[in-house]
Amino acid sequence: MLYPVTVTVFAAAAVLALLAGFYAWRDRLIDDRLLLVAAILELALVVQAVAALVNVRDVAGDGAEKATFAAYALTLPLIPPAVAFLAIKEKTRWSMGVIVAGALAIAIMTGRLQQIWNLGG
Amino acid sequence: MAERAPVSTRSGPGVVLVSVYAVLALAATGRSVLQILEYFSRAPVAYLLSALAAVIYIVATFALARGSRTSWRVARAAILIELVGVLVVGLLSYLVPSAFPDKTVWSHFGSGYGYVPLVLPVLGLWWLRRTRASARGDVPVRPASPAG
Repeated sequence: MLYPVTVTVFAAAAVLALLAGFYAWRDRLIDDRLLLVAAILELALVVQAVAALVNVRDVAGDGAEKATFAAYALTLPLIPPAVAFLAIKEKTRWSMGVIVAGALAIAIMTGRLQQIWNLGG
Repeated sequence: MAERAPVSTRSGPGVVLVSVYAVLALAATGRSVLQILEYFSRAPVAYLLSALAAVIYIVATFALARGSRTSWRVARAAILIELVGVLVVGLLSYLVPSAFPDKTVWSHFGSGYGYVPLVLPVLGLWWLRRTRASARGDVPVRPASPAG
């Protein structure tokens, strides 16, 4: 699809998961640095959603693939704000578990997007 | 002591559970809405099951996030249905593949979602057991201790 955007999404999700894991280990709560990484990830996901919607007609395969593709592309940008909100409210190290779970979900769903996109070759 | 007071379903590990449920609810809802609107005739059973799964994930998410006494029971009901659903649909999708031409969240025991749909209800029921006290007494529900 958009190669640089996909790379940015995977890289930012990985950094976010690692940073949150580190924070959980050191018993630190969410801070500006973590939010900045989440914001970069969010930006990349919004760009990815727009690109996906513009290109949804070119998705190979049947309707089900198109539906999954569009639904995931639109759902992904909702995840960073949701997990950030939960992590800010939870004042224990479990809040970092939320961030890690969200980052993993983003990586998995973006991987699925790529998988569907590559069906077209 | 404070340590003996019941723990709410939304604190500590519960907040991680809520976030995983929320993500799954979002993904399942978005997908099933599009499936039903656009291609319903192709696999009505599979798509209706997808929609049912999505609704159950939404209910479980909000019930766990609410953390009150009533919501504990709602969460238990939703998660039990979820567990039965993933087991029955998982088994049927292997035995009667023709009934599931299209994948649902629960088919093949959630393999399309990294088996998260199979593991999640087990974790959910474990967490509800740990927080059972919050559904029982009249004691006020407190958040988990900072150490988790």
